[in-house]
Order: sequence, then C-alpha cells, then structure tokens
Amino acid sequence: MILKNLSKRYLVSGEYLPVLDDFTLSIEPGTITALVGPSGCGKTTLLRLIGELEQPDEGELVKSVEERGPLSYLFQEPRLLPWHSVLHNVELVMRPWYPEKEERIARARDFLTMVGLSDFTTFKPDQLSGGMRQRVAIARAFAYPGHMLLLDEPFQSLDTNLRWALVNAFLKLWNAEKRTTIYVTHDVPEALLMADTVIRLSSRPMRILENHTIGTPREERSLGSPEFLALQARFYT
Amino acid sequence: MNRSTWNTNLITALSVLILLGIWQIGAVLLDAGVILPTPGTTFSALASVVQQEPFSLNILATVARALQSFLIIFLVGGLLGILSGYSRSLHAFLVPLLVICKATPVMSVILLAFIWFTSGTVPLFSAFLMGFPVMFIQVEQGVKLISPRLHEMTVAYGFTPLRRLIHLVIPSLAPSIITGAKASLSMVWKVVIAAEVLTVPRYGVGSRMQMAQVNLETAEVLAWTLIAILLTAAGDLIFLSLLEVPRKLRERRSKLLEAIR
Repeated sequence: MILKNLSKRYLVSGEYLPVLDDFTLSIEPGTITALVGPSGCGKTTLLRLIGELEQPDEGELVKSVEERGPLSYLFQEPRLLPWHSVLHNVELVMRPWYPEKEERIARARDFLTMVGLSDFTTFKPDQLSGGMRQRVAIARAFAYPGHMLLLDEPFQSLDTNLRWALVNAFLKLWNAEKRTTIYVTHDVPEALLMADTVIRLSSRPMRILENHTIGTPREERSLGSPEFLALQARFYT
Repeated sequence: MNRSTWNTNLITALSVLILLGIWQIGAVLLDAGVILPTPGTTFSALASVVQQEPFSLNILATVARALQSFLIIFLVGGLLGILSGYSRSLHAFLVPLLVICKATPVMSVILLAFIWFTSGTVPLFSAFLMGFPVMFIQVEQGVKLISPRLHEMTVAYGFTPLRRLIHLVIPSLAPSIITGAKASLSMVWKVVIAAEVLTVPRYGVGSRMQMAQVNLETAEVLAWTLIAILLTAAGDLIFLSLLEVPRKLRERRSKLLEAIR
C-alpha cells in the first residue's frame, strides 16, 4: 500500500490545524508496520484515513489488489455490543461474508478458542474483565475476513502482564494468517517486539523521522539485547 | 415475601385506609350525596355500573381507542424520533409542530377536533397530538446518546443501515423507547377519557361519566373514575409484564442450554 501526498486538516476554533501535510509512506503487504510517535501527532488520523473512516483533504491511498476490500479494525477500547453475547458479537460482523450460520458460528468459536475464551461464549461483555473483552475484540478482528488489520493502541489501557498476554495472543493469530497490519502505538518496546517495520513519527504536522525494518525474527528478539537497547535509545530521543 | 416487602405493603395499605377514612369523614360532614357520596355508596354504584349493560362495550370502546392511539404514537413518534435524531433538517422542520402540540391546552385540541371529526375519532386524534411529543422527544434524545464509538465500529465492520438499526440503534434506544411509551400510555388514557367526556361517543368510559354527571349521579361519576384509574393501572401493569417477557425467555433459553450440556 502506498500513501501518496496525504494532507488532512481540522477546523479548530476558527483556524485550520494541519495534522498531515504532504505525507507519503509505502507499506509492504503481509507485514506488521508500527507507527510510533508522540500523543496527538496524528497517528490515529492516519489510521482512520487508511480505514476509510475519514477522507483525506488531498492525496490518495493506493492499495494492492489483496489489500482492497473489507478491513479489520481493533480500537483502543473493545467496542463490543453490550446486549449481545461474546459469540454473537464475533459472528455478527461475519454475516455478509459467511451466509451459512453453522460455518459462521464454527469460525467464531475457533477464534474465541484461540484467544482462550471458549468457555465464555454465552457471556455478555459486562460479565467479562477488561482484558477478556479486548480478547473478544481481537477474535472479532481476526474472524472478520478483513484484508488488512488496523490496530489503534489496542493494549494501551491494560496492565503489563495482560498486555503481553494479549500481544502473544495477537501474534499467534497473525502468524496463522499474515495480513497486512498497521499498528499505532506510543509504546516503543511493544512496537520493537511486534513489528516488521517501525516508523518513528514527528509531532504535528506529522512527518516520518525514521523508517526502520527489523531483520531479527520475532521469536529471537529480546529487549535486553544490545541491538534492541540501542533501538530503544534511538526511538526515545 | 420478606419482612421489608411486608412493611412496604403494610404502609401502602395504611395509606389507602387513611385516604378512605378522610373521604368517609368528609362525606359524613358534608352530608350531601350529590356533592360527595360516601365510599360505601360509591362502591355500591361501582357494583351496579359493572352489572349494567353494555358495561363491557363501554370499557372495550375506551380500551380500543387508547390502544389505537398508543400504537400510532409508538410507531409514528418512534420512527420520526429516530429519523429526526439523525437529521437536523427534519428536526428543524418538526420543531413548530412540537411546540404547538406541547403548548396547546388539551381542551382546545379536543374542542377543535370535535369541530373537524366525528365523536369516535376525536379521542384518537387528541390523544395522538398530546402523546406524540412525549414519545418523539424521548426517542430523539435517545438517538443523541447512542455511542459514537459503537457507531464507528459498525461503520468499520461494514454494517448495512438495516443491520445497524437492528443491532445498534434499537437496542441503544430501548430505555428511551420504554420511558417514552410508558409516559405516553399514561397520558393516552387521560386524554381519551377527557375527549369522550366532551364529545360523548355512543360507548366509552368518558361518555358514561358525562351522562352520570348530567344526571347528578356523583357516586356513578366516582365509580367510573375508579374504573378509569383501574384501566390505567392495568395498562401500566400489562406494559411492564410485556417488558419482562424477553428477559424471561432468555433465562429459560439459557437454562435449557445448560440442561442440554
């Protein structure tokens, strides 16, 4: 996917606030790209433009054939329908793509099992903990046949242990089906452990400060290794 | 029944007894059955009204008018409330109608409707004009409370407008719809009976009240008033019981599923 000369501004108190100005980026299909930058720099806006939840003022998005079509979105909050069960929340989004109910339910159950929630399918979201709700959202994002995965700081509000458990659950699902993933975060260690490419962004109007591809396989990465210590030091400056 | 429920029921029964006592004392002091009959006389009148023919026809006529008005209010108020919640233009278009409906005295609406329509239609029309704003405003306000985050989720996951309506809008609006429906249902009974009193259709609780008043049968007026109160209470009770049905069905279904497992 190529983001070509994207510009986006918002009208704030009578003045135009440029969030993106002539922003260009190329993303490799089938990889995880992390967008790292300070809060409020425009990362979420960029993700919303890619997800077509908003339109750019100028510029265009050029997607490859395999990236066109439905998109899976994982938000900061689980955004589950509170009146539906866990299973219903997951199977509901799949309806247009899996018209056969049995197939749809089986797929939803498979993904819920993968995130460790096979015993909670009949529960309502408010009967689950925050981490369990976010796992349902992960299952929903993967069960939905989105050609791309867009993640907007989905583990941000969780404690460290839960965060890493969810990162592992995510990577387990992602390894089974490697979809182009764009991942917004301001957590540098998380980005370094998860992504194939980490893009460091400036504050508004957002520009690319560094585009770094990590060659080390995920399972061999360690935040304490000299390579990753150096990377963290660089990304925090 | 636990102790606290017993206490509550006892207090309610005591309150009813005190009200009946005040009524009895007032009636004895006045000593004029035409102005204020005793509770005993009123209950005797109630018993004879119930035995009169066509008692059930009078009740059915009022119930039918109230239910028809309520159904129209529920559908039109609910639908326009949803549409207006999403469309500023429609909201602006409907504002004058709402202001008129809310500000016009009930009696003016009934009198004007009596000039324009037949006596049987007046209660329907008047109840609609009075109840519609209640339902409409509740639902319209409810639309504004629908979570924008959940709405965005449905956009991101490609929900069709129909799927969004069924799985997001209607469940989100359920509390507003229930509040609006309850309030408009209570209002409908009062307006329908008031319209019947003024227009005196062939059958109806209000018509009987009017006839009793003309004949200075105060005990009968009070008896029909008690019937109107009971109808309103029964309407509320049935409405609340209907709301419990989906929950009970869900509970039965999950118990059944657990038993199968």
